[in-house]
Amino acid sequence: MSDLEVQAELAAHSSQSRQAGPARRLGVAEGAAGVFALFLLVAAVAPTLLAPGDPLHIDPLSAFQSPNFAHGFGTDESGRDIYTRVVHGTQYSLVIGATATVIGLGLGIVLGTLAGMLGRVVDFTVNRFLEVLFAFPGLLLALLFIVIFGPGVATATIAVGLSTAPGYARIIRAQLRTVRSAAFVEAATVLGRTRWQVLLRHILPNTLAPLFVLATLGIGQAIVWAATLSYLGLGAEPPTAEWGAMLSAGRTYITSAWWMSFFPGLFIVLTAVTATVLGRSIDRRMRHA
Amino acid sequence: MPLRHPARTRRLLATTAGIVALGLFVAGCTATGSDKPVGEPISGGTLTYASGDAEPSCLDPHVGGNFPQALISAQYLESLVSRDTDGQIIPWLAESWTASEDGLTWDFTLRDDVTFTDGTVFDAAAVQANVAHVQDPTTLSSTGYLALGKVTGTEAVSPTVVRFTLSAPDSALLESLSQPWLAIESPTALERSQDENCAAPVGTGPFIVESWVKQNAITLVRNDDYVSPPADAGHSGPAYLDKVIWRFIPDSASRYAAVQSGEVDVIDNAQPDTIVQAKQSDSLEHLDSPRPGASNRIELNSGRAPFNDVRVREAFMRSANVDDAVSSLFLGTATRSYSALSSVEATAVSNAALFDYDPAAAAKLLDAAGWSETDADGYRVKDGVRLTVEFPVSTNQSIPAEQSVFEQIQATAKETGFDVKLRPLDLSSWYAALAANDYDAVSAPYTKVGPDVLRILYHSASIVPAPSGYFANLAQVNDPAIDELLTTAARATDPAARASLYSDAQNRILEGFYILPLYDQQNHYLLRSDVVGLRTLPTVAVPTLYDAWLNR
Repeated sequence: MSDLEVQAELAAHSSQSRQAGPARRLGVAEGAAGVFALFLLVAAVAPTLLAPGDPLHIDPLSAFQSPNFAHGFGTDESGRDIYTRVVHGTQYSLVIGATATVIGLGLGIVLGTLAGMLGRVVDFTVNRFLEVLFAFPGLLLALLFIVIFGPGVATATIAVGLSTAPGYARIIRAQLRTVRSAAFVEAATVLGRTRWQVLLRHILPNTLAPLFVLATLGIGQAIVWAATLSYLGLGAEPPTAEWGAMLSAGRTYITSAWWMSFFPGLFIVLTAVTATVLGRSIDRRMRHA
Repeated sequence: MPLRHPARTRRLLATTAGIVALGLFVAGCTATGSDKPVGEPISGGTLTYASGDAEPSCLDPHVGGNFPQALISAQYLESLVSRDTDGQIIPWLAESWTASEDGLTWDFTLRDDVTFTDGTVFDAAAVQANVAHVQDPTTLSSTGYLALGKVTGTEAVSPTVVRFTLSAPDSALLESLSQPWLAIESPTALERSQDENCAAPVGTGPFIVESWVKQNAITLVRNDDYVSPPADAGHSGPAYLDKVIWRFIPDSASRYAAVQSGEVDVIDNAQPDTIVQAKQSDSLEHLDSPRPGASNRIELNSGRAPFNDVRVREAFMRSANVDDAVSSLFLGTATRSYSALSSVEATAVSNAALFDYDPAAAAKLLDAAGWSETDADGYRVKDGVRLTVEFPVSTNQSIPAEQSVFEQIQATAKETGFDVKLRPLDLSSWYAALAANDYDAVSAPYTKVGPDVLRILYHSASIVPAPSGYFANLAQVNDPAIDELLTTAARATDPAARASLYSDAQNRILEGFYILPLYDQQNHYLLRSDVVGLRTLPTVAVPTLYDAWLNR
C-alpha cells in the first residue's frame, strides 16, 4: 500500500463511521456509568459535599444499626456511619487505582519501547524478563513485593502498579512493531528522518492512543486489586475508611450485620463495572473514529 | 494482562457476588437441632474440633509454651496435679504430696499403674527427665521455665516418690505443676530430636497424636489403655471418642459457619455476635470458661517515653472509653474488668475508680506533664515531638471484637490528643516488635494458674527475656516495692498472709497506672448440642475431650 492509499483508506473509514451514527449515541449503560463516575469524582475530590461527617467518628451506643433514616447504609461495630466511610473511602480507591495504573503504564511504556525499538538483543532480554514476570499471577507478584517492603497504602499502590506493568509492556511492544512496519513510517525513514524523529513524531503517537483505553480499563482492575490487598490486611490499615479494609472488617459480622460488607463491596463492584463500561465505550469510539 | 481485563473483572465480579450470596444464604439458614434424649454415654465416633488460635509450631508445650499448645496437648498429655472448680489442688498423676517445714523440699507420691503410650513406665525418673527438659536452655521453654524458676533439683527417692528441691519456698508450686505447660512426657520420647518430639509428643493422656498435616489438621486416636483421669473427671477408663480431628480455621466467620452447618462439632474463640446467635439456636450450645491468671489488659510500656511518666499513663487511661466499647462490641458476653487478675482468681482485687473515663482530667494531666501544646491535627506535642503511642496488635491473639475495642480506644484517646498507632501484626512480627522494645502499648494475654502470674508479669526480673526470647513484664514495671511484695507473697506459706500480700501488690500495680484492664480473657466455645460431656479443665480452662461423647 502506498501512503496515498493509506490516507484514502483512513478517510473512507472515518466517513463510514460518521454515517454509521449509532456509535456516537450514548447507551443506557454508558450514561449510568458516566453518572456514577461523576459521583465518584466528587466523592474523591470533595467527600464532605456528599457526606459531611467524620468517617472515623465512633458512636459505640449506635453500633450495628441496620440501614435506617439516620444511617442510610447502617453503622459498623463501633457505630461509624457506613455511608460516610464509603464516600470518604472513594479517595483512597481512586488515588490508589489511578496511581497504580500510571506506575504500571509508565513502566510498561519504558520496557515496551526498549524492546520494540532497540534491536534484537534488547528485545530478547526484555521479553525473557517479561515472561518471567508473567509466570507469576499478577496478585502474587504484588504479594511478593509487599512481603519484601512491608504492608501499607504506598507499597500496595506500587505493588499493584508493578504487577500490571508486564501486560502493558507487551501490548506496547506489539503495537510498536506493527506501527514500525507501517507504510507511513517507511516513508518517513526513506525521506531521511532520524530514528528519534521517527519514534517521537510518527511511532509513539500512533502507539499510545490505544493505551488510553487500556488505562481506563486498568484503573478498574487496579482498584479491585488494591481492595483485595487491603482485604487481606496488606494495604490500608484499620480503621481507615478503605473499601477493601471495610469489606474485611464486615466479613466477621456477615451473619449478623450484612450491610457492613455489602455496601463497600457494592461500591468496589460498581466502580470496576463503571471503569470497564467507560473503557470499552472509548475503545469503540476510537476504533470507529 | 490488560487484554484480559474485561474477563478478569467479570470473574472477580462473579466471585464477589458469589461470596455475598453465600453470606446471605448462611445468614438465612436455620439449623435443626438434635432432639435425641441424652441417655447412657455412647462410645465411638469422630469429633471434629476447629480452633481459631494460631496453629502451634510444636505440639510439645514445654517448648515455648502458649495457649494454642495447651489447648491441644491437654488431650494427650497429663500433669502431676490438677485444680477443681473451687480452686483446690487435686491429685492426677501424683496421688499425694507433702512439703517440708521450711517449704524447700516437696515429695510427690506418684501413681504406680501408669505407662506412657509408647510403653515407657511412668515413674520418678520420668518426672526428673521432664523437669530437666523444661529447664534445659536448648528446649527454649518460656512458660514452663518461668514456672519452675525456684526448682533447683529433683531426686528419685523411690520409683514412685520424686523429691523437688527449691531455692526458696514457693507458694505457687502446685498451681504451676497443674498447668499443661509442665505436663509429663515420656522420657524415651524426649530423647528424640526436638523436631521429632514436636511433631508427636508422647504422654499418658486419653488420646494419642496419630498424625499432623501442617496447615490442615492434627489427628488424635483413643488411648485404649488409659487409666489416669484427674480426680474430678466424669468417668474412668478409656475415652468415649474413637478419634479427634483437630482443625485450624483462623477466620471467625468461617469457623462459625462450620459449626453451624455441622461440618465441625466444637469451635473455640467464638465471636460475641455469633454467641448471641447461637444462644437462640437449638442446635448449638455455648460454653463460657474465662481463663485464669491475668485479665485481658492493655499494658503501657513504662520503660520508655512517653509512658515513663505516670501522669501520661494515667492520662491515657482517663481518655480511653472502655466501658462503651465493651458493651457495644461484646454484646453482653464480656464484663468489664478493673483488676489485674481474672475474676476466677479468688485473690483478684478490683478498683473501678482508677479507670473512670474522664477526658477533662486527662487533659489536665497532660498539661502538667508538659504535653501542653497541640498541633494542627489536634495531637499533643512536647518539644516538637507528637504524643504517639505505638500499639502492635497480634491478629492471632486478639479477636476482631477486641481489635475493634482498640480502635475505639484509639478514637477516644485522640480527642485528648494521643496519636495511637495500631499496627496489626502476625504472631512472629508481633514478638519481634516486643523484643525490639518497639511498642508503647500492647495487649498480651498471659495465662497461669493462680495469683503468682503477678510475679511473672510485674516483677522487674521478668524484664529479662526467658530462653525463648520472650519477656513477660511488657509494662516494664520496675518498682522495688512491688518486687518485694511479690517475692514475699511467693514464699508465704500461710494462705491468708499470701492473699493479703497479693492484694497489696495488685493495688500498687493498679495505682501505678501500668495496666488498663479490659475484661477476663475471653474463652468461649460453641458446640453442637449433640456433643455431650465436654468440659474445660479448671486449671487453664482448656477443653478436655476425655468425657465427651456424641449423642447421635
